[in-house]
Amino acid sequence: MHDMSNILTSPSKAAKKKKPSSVIEVEDIGFSYDLGKTETLKGISMEVPKNQVTALIGPSGCGKSTLLRCLNRMNDLIDTAKITRGTIRILGQDIHAADVDAIELRKQVGMVFQKYNPFPKSIYDNVAYGLRIQGIKKKSVLDEAVERSLKNAALWDEVKDRLKDSALGLSGGQQQRLCIARTIAVRPKVILMDEPCSALDPIATAKVEELMLELRKDFTIVIVTHSMQQASRISDRTAFFYLGELIEYGSTTHIFTNPTAKQTEDYISGRFG
Amino acid sequence: MQSGDHILSNFNTALQELRETTLIMAAGAQRNLQNTINGLLQRDKQLCNQAIADDEDEDQLEIQIDSLGLQIIVRFQPVATDLRMVIGAMKTATNLERISDQAVSIAKRSRKMLKNDEVPEVSRIEGLYQVAAGMLADAITAYSDSDIDLALTVVENEKTLKKTHKTTSRFFSEKLETQTGHYRDYLDLVLICRWLDRVGNLATNIAEDVIFETTSADIRHGGELPPELLEGNNKPDTSD
Repeated sequence: MHDMSNILTSPSKAAKKKKPSSVIEVEDIGFSYDLGKTETLKGISMEVPKNQVTALIGPSGCGKSTLLRCLNRMNDLIDTAKITRGTIRILGQDIHAADVDAIELRKQVGMVFQKYNPFPKSIYDNVAYGLRIQGIKKKSVLDEAVERSLKNAALWDEVKDRLKDSALGLSGGQQQRLCIARTIAVRPKVILMDEPCSALDPIATAKVEELMLELRKDFTIVIVTHSMQQASRISDRTAFFYLGELIEYGSTTHIFTNPTAKQTEDYISGRFG
Repeated sequence: MQSGDHILSNFNTALQELRETTLIMAAGAQRNLQNTINGLLQRDKQLCNQAIADDEDEDQLEIQIDSLGLQIIVRFQPVATDLRMVIGAMKTATNLERISDQAVSIAKRSRKMLKNDEVPEVSRIEGLYQVAAGMLADAITAYSDSDIDLALTVVENEKTLKKTHKTTSRFFSEKLETQTGHYRDYLDLVLICRWLDRVGNLATNIAEDVIFETTSADIRHGGELPPELLEGNNKPDTSD
């Protein structure tokens, strides 16, 4: 088996020839949940630039979350799921290449879910979890990583005196930021977020959004959101999906002030299509 | 580009109310300008007084439109065409209020002039008034119908306005120098020329905002219209 520890920082020889212009390159991706009988994603092509927040928007069932889960091969966990065509490259590496291990990929492409899901462990152990899985045991290294991650997740000041307390005792917003800290502790290249604020109140939402804008300096973020205001507040680029197709993709300012496609305009302005 | 109604019916209602209030204000500004010029030309002090009094309505409508726009932004967070429409209405209201102010300035000068004997050449102002009032009428129609072609016509007509203003203003300036018995009246007419020119400028602002509202292209201060809009059919779609 190919050494996967640096899979996304050491692209294959073929990929090295072509320096990727974007962190994520999706090319003509088709995806099916029923072994190819029907396509949920129909030939999606898009590029996600480095150190930007890219928002995926669209009505329920349009395929935005499916595409998000394709980016770290989360859909591999579904027996009948199948990529029907196309390629996805992250930092130039085809993520479906035979020598790519999905678990190693997910270390580089972290994910934050709609419902915050801290482990029933202490705050410290939640953040250190990924590093311990990687075999890091030295306390000083773990301490440093936990502190750095919690600071990056704007949670350190709120929990530094109770790191041994259960994570389940934190508020919803704090639990979500803890999950973000857990994700960034293993230093991924990309963070995928699937409606990360849908269960949070406005204050907690604002803190997570502020955090995303900070994290953008170090990570590339792709977020699925149903909130048009959230997409317009925090994203640099926005992609609108409808019925499994990418209808429009461009700068967020363009999408929200003068969208090119009528379907985009109808959706973002809440009109009947 | 947008089609159909919003899913939220009260969003539709709020946008409709904003547009209708702006059109009511536009009709008021037009009427005030018309009254004030008719007051001058027909030597009817009552019409001048009417224009001055009705300006208060325009002031209140401007406040009302700003308030409606603000409420829509807060309650519905409009985007794209809706957002441009709200901003367009609020900016149009500002321009209309200023047009009404110009009408008041003209009305006040006209009232002064009515105390004196009629200046025979006063009717020369009508040509400039026709250009400025025509631009205003077209700008309002363009706003009402989202008609880019008509809005562009208004922008183009600014050249005619400048030319007519220059000619008319020069005529009265020369009279001011030679007909010393009526120098105050000629001075007032020069000022009225300037205010009518300003009305045309403000009508141009409205037309430019119509183009922004309809296409998102900002043509102010030398900005250009996208080529596809210059070549394409810009007439509003009136089909069912």
